[in-house]
Amino acid sequence: MPAALSLQDVRVRYGDRLAVDGVTLAVGRGEVVGLLGPNGSGKSTTLLVAAGVIDPAGGVVAAGGVPRGDDPAGYAARVGLVPQGCALYDELSASDNLAFFGRLYGLGGRDLRRRVARALARAGLADRAGHRVGTFSGGMKQRVNLAAALLHDPPVLLLDEPTAALDPAGRDALFADLARLRDDGHAVLLSTHHLDDAALGCDRVAVLDRGRLVALGAPGDVFRAGPSDRAVLYAHLGARLAPFQARAIRQRLGPAVALEVTGNRLRLAAGCGGELGRALAIVLAEGVELDSFRTPAGSLERVLRLGVGHRTHPLQRVAFAHDDDPETAPDTQAS
Amino acid sequence: MTPPLLRLVLALAGNDWRLFWADKRAAALAFAVPVVLASAFGLIFARPTEDKAATRLPVAIVVEDDGPFTRRVAADLLASGRFEAVELSRAEAEARVADRRPGVAVVLPRGFERLRDWTPGAAGERPAVEIRHHPTTGAERQWAEGVLTETVMRRLAREKFGGLVGDAALAPPFRTETAVVGGPADAQFNAYAHSFCGMTLQYLLFWGMESGLLFLRDRKRGTWTRLRAAPVPLAAVLLGKALATAGVALLMVFFTFAVGRVAFGVTVNGSAVGFVLLAVAASALAAATGLLVAAVGGTEARARSVSTLVILGVSMVGGLWLPAFLLPGWVRDLALALPTTWAMHGLDGVTWQGRGPAEAVRGAAAVAGFAAAFLAVAVARLVAAERRARRGM
Repeated sequence: MPAALSLQDVRVRYGDRLAVDGVTLAVGRGEVVGLLGPNGSGKSTTLLVAAGVIDPAGGVVAAGGVPRGDDPAGYAARVGLVPQGCALYDELSASDNLAFFGRLYGLGGRDLRRRVARALARAGLADRAGHRVGTFSGGMKQRVNLAAALLHDPPVLLLDEPTAALDPAGRDALFADLARLRDDGHAVLLSTHHLDDAALGCDRVAVLDRGRLVALGAPGDVFRAGPSDRAVLYAHLGARLAPFQARAIRQRLGPAVALEVTGNRLRLAAGCGGELGRALAIVLAEGVELDSFRTPAGSLERVLRLGVGHRTHPLQRVAFAHDDDPETAPDTQAS
Repeated sequence: MTPPLLRLVLALAGNDWRLFWADKRAAALAFAVPVVLASAFGLIFARPTEDKAATRLPVAIVVEDDGPFTRRVAADLLASGRFEAVELSRAEAEARVADRRPGVAVVLPRGFERLRDWTPGAAGERPAVEIRHHPTTGAERQWAEGVLTETVMRRLAREKFGGLVGDAALAPPFRTETAVVGGPADAQFNAYAHSFCGMTLQYLLFWGMESGLLFLRDRKRGTWTRLRAAPVPLAAVLLGKALATAGVALLMVFFTFAVGRVAFGVTVNGSAVGFVLLAVAASALAAATGLLVAAVGGTEARARSVSTLVILGVSMVGGLWLPAFLLPGWVRDLALALPTTWAMHGLDGVTWQGRGPAEAVRGAAAVAGFAAAFLAVAVARLVAAERRARRGM
């Protein structure tokens, strides 16, 4: 049985640079695969190739065994894309948005109305169907965003940085939705640069670095435990930190503790639980407001040692690259 | 499943239509602005056409000679049907002329009374008459000079020949016959009709520009990525955009002229079918302009600046602000290369000039030709841009 989605030796060239370099990947029905890697690793480009938005310079993309080049329209109908950010019209109501995107896939009449009503009910937004999307919270928008991609019932679902604008509760809800879709037999491919996203909701993880696939497997295998266990805390900030605040806190924490601030997310990593507790006390003493925080069991960042030929593993760069210069740290919404 | 092209086009146009109406205040303003502009221009340039023959020149009369002949000439000037005259001192008159209220003053200076003794062919120094005028009122000065000459000569004839000469004998020894060329005999310039034609056309181009800027903005949104992932050919997207823009434009034309008819009596005196054809062609031009702006505009800010400049330029040269007959000949020749000229010529023809369908069809065909050319350039550029985007560039 062919994979729901397959990428075979896909290459995308941006001028002289190979943005995606020979990526081969298959996603089966009832499977969630996470594309993981630092900014600029080719995650979004790979996803856009899979969505049919970008034509690869080489290689084959197929859905249900049918190459896109053979039947572009049929391919598009088999794939649902949730683009990065809110890909909806803020000026229109949730139902108008869904109806419009449904019509683009040939839906209409009573069938379209029924699908829109069902999608909104599933998203828990039946009572807000006539409200403008611009008045929705980030989580509600993401639910409509997801519903718009699923309206034509595609077997393959692609999500580009779906958790970027979500708070922890919204992220948990999204992964619950993805788990349900997986159980319904959908093939899901999502991009993220958050390790805990990949661990939380993915059956397999594909790690990209400079456009090349450098690791592929179950999260537990990819993030193997190493000798230098670190205690990690993830938090959601009540208010964003200015770069100078982050710098000041880093100075107080000292070199043994890693502080990473990305948008309104904060990550704190220390050598052991006690050290992490002291670090948290320092952060709070600096007046930083935390809406919520959690410490993942067996935190994944302790195991970033794969020996794939780089001095620094790409996942380590995801996690730590911003520590040196917080001002250049990209926002979590940036690809 | 691939939806038929027409269904896709209608879905895309319907969505743009809903987006236009989603901001009700902005939509209301889009309809109100051309009406306000047309009303203002009409109000400024309107003249009572039924009383056109009796149009009088505002002028100040300054009398510095106390002689009886001079007083009688002054009285004739003040009573002239060609002048809206008021007597002032020299200082007052010069102050007002400098302010162009009125733009011309006729001064009968000391010594003017000597004219009373003038005989045809007499030698010697002639008494002077001064005409003081604003720098911008050269034509009015000549008008005032003509009326002054006629008035003085009539007065002299009366004085010299006493009761021998009656008013009938002083009438011109010829008859003047007037005829309208190139339109119905009863066609008279109607400033409101011209303004409603001109301002509607100008605003249609601005609406086209806005639509193009919206398209530029749309292409940076996630919705565009979603659209490109859907089984929708670029042709359907462009047709949908064009259809929505043209639909709104057509509605603007009919709404603006409906208000013009109710509020200012602007009517289609000529061919109604011709008017509809011109409205459809102008709406298509607005849609094509929008796509052209999106195709060649570059960034939104750059596109807005350049488009505004171009639209104002083609509006002015095309006679949308002031009637084309007021423009110099070389400008009118140059303006033939602009769609606005043909659209305006056609609309003027079917409204206040009361012309038939033939001229309207000619104008509509020219405008449609320009729209097709704009569309061709826009589609070629947008298709090339889409190809580059599909290659990830």
